[in-house]
Amino acid sequence: MKNMKKIQSHIQLPAKWILILIVLGLLGVIAVHFDNPVYQQTIVRITHVTNSKAKSTTDEFNNEDSTVTQKLTGIITNGRRKGQTVHLKNTYTGSHATDQRYYSGNQVFISHNNLITDYKRDTSVALLFWIAFSLLLLIMQWTGMRALLSVLLNAVLFFIAIEIDLAVHGSNILLIFGGLSIVFTSVTLWIVLGFNRQMAITLGATLSGTAIAMALSWLVITLTGSNGVYYEAMQYVTQTPKPLFLAETLLGSLGAVMDESTDIISSLFQLKKEQPDISAHQIFNSGREIGREIMGPLINVLFLIFVADTFPMAVLFLRNGNSWGYTFNMNMSLGITQSLVSGIGIVLAIPAAAFLAGHFSGGERK
Amino acid sequence: MSTIVALGLFLLLAMFLVGGRRGIRSFVSLLLNFVLLFMAIVLVAFGFPPLIVTLIIGIMILGVTIFMGADSDLTTQTAFYGAVIVLVIVVLLIIPVEHWAAVQGFGEEDSDDIVGFSLAIGISFAQIAASTAIFSTLGAIAEAAMAIAAGLNEIVVQTPHLSNHELFQDGSDIGRQIIGTTFNTLFFGFFGGFLALFIWFVGLHYSLGQIFNNKIFVAELLEILFSIIGVILTVPITTWVMTRQRHD
Repeated sequence: MKNMKKIQSHIQLPAKWILILIVLGLLGVIAVHFDNPVYQQTIVRITHVTNSKAKSTTDEFNNEDSTVTQKLTGIITNGRRKGQTVHLKNTYTGSHATDQRYYSGNQVFISHNNLITDYKRDTSVALLFWIAFSLLLLIMQWTGMRALLSVLLNAVLFFIAIEIDLAVHGSNILLIFGGLSIVFTSVTLWIVLGFNRQMAITLGATLSGTAIAMALSWLVITLTGSNGVYYEAMQYVTQTPKPLFLAETLLGSLGAVMDESTDIISSLFQLKKEQPDISAHQIFNSGREIGREIMGPLINVLFLIFVADTFPMAVLFLRNGNSWGYTFNMNMSLGITQSLVSGIGIVLAIPAAAFLAGHFSGGERK
Repeated sequence: MSTIVALGLFLLLAMFLVGGRRGIRSFVSLLLNFVLLFMAIVLVAFGFPPLIVTLIIGIMILGVTIFMGADSDLTTQTAFYGAVIVLVIVVLLIIPVEHWAAVQGFGEEDSDDIVGFSLAIGISFAQIAASTAIFSTLGAIAEAAMAIAAGLNEIVVQTPHLSNHELFQDGSDIGRQIIGTTFNTLFFGFFGGFLALFIWFVGLHYSLGQIFNNKIFVAELLEILFSIIGVILTVPITTWVMTRQRHD
């Protein structure tokens, strides 16, 4: 990593502009807080709350909990009924699995017959987005904005991909998301690296590493007959689970493999620039050296993302008298499989990146 | 043979071929992190307070990931202290925001999966939601802290008389290098995991307003934002730790 010091000189954003952008962002958050007129659904601001006494409950697994009924008074804040006072009812349990306690000042969506349908959460998202945005500007400046741009662009592409998938009713989902992976990778690397030889090699390494890993994993999954992988436990499924799962895995690993290939290849290009006479074999070995340092932490990043989300459901399973094994199978087997397949991709991208950089970085010779 | 065991052995073999003993060590750290995470779930189900369990096990996961991931003492110690400080700051952000956004437990789209379960289980799902968010950020924080610490370590070894100010400059240079690609890891990692949910949203024509107030989506989006904030904070904080560590 000794080349770290001579990184592209970045453009310093004037402090005045950073401040203006941050203040504008804050105004945006405030606007989101008062965006009720934009919504079609009726939103009520709660002004008064009366709670009943807590009633203890015990279920068949001896879980002790309590139930409270709330009588809420509120004012409708938007639409034709704006200004009307409404009376709402809410019941919550101590554990809040599917319910919540409301306080005066909360805003909720209601249906036509005055039932609470959801809680207004957009301000919290906006505020957190603003914090991330401000920190990015302050600490990373332009580089941060470019990273943000690439994420937003990918979000749009992601949405388009889903529209295509739905238009063909989920047939060939792997083909669609496989094809789109190529577009995702190209666009992202183009934003990060520009359009040059280094970008082409990184693209090649990312795609070949991912493709080989997916193919080999598919082979292993097929040979073992998906034994112990419970596709039926997959959540939010509206299409055939197995291809959907493979598409999720493909997308999930793509960013990490790209991350790694970019790191390895940019270091190798730097190396080649400093020592133009270095052989392809030496480049390959250096690439492996860099790669073996990154791969462990990177696999852990994905593992924690994939498996942390199973926490609430796994606790629910255990408290409902299910065994550790059954809880694992029904909640974690898919996340673990996904982590392992992604891990294989992350590892295989290392030789791919090192090989391609060794053989095709020649043109950079000066 | 079960598919998970077969894939696990395949990964172990690949890691060994590419990374040698280092690869095996990385594989063991992955295995240990799984055991720790599973232990956290079991402890919470036994009735231990979720946030305390999460903090203790979270620090252990950071330790496993960092100390088994690199060799140099200065690198690992700097990365570990930096990551723990960031963890504490992120936890202080996560708890109030998760409470305010009320994204605990299960959403409407989970209904099919929780049918037949007793939901009044006497454990705070609000705390579990905060725990989930904390766990999901740990990997990203550890990875960023290691990248910054390793890069700075290299610089400190080569030019020992660098001023603190110059070191901060170098720290943010390294930060700039990793931030773009780290975002991609996080973005694809999270969105890849929730492809099915997004297909559901688009397929059932959820409005933008519904999506940005939807419990599951907001929970997921907040997790990405916590991770991003964690990674950004890691850059100056790890550098600051390095300015103090290098003289010890």
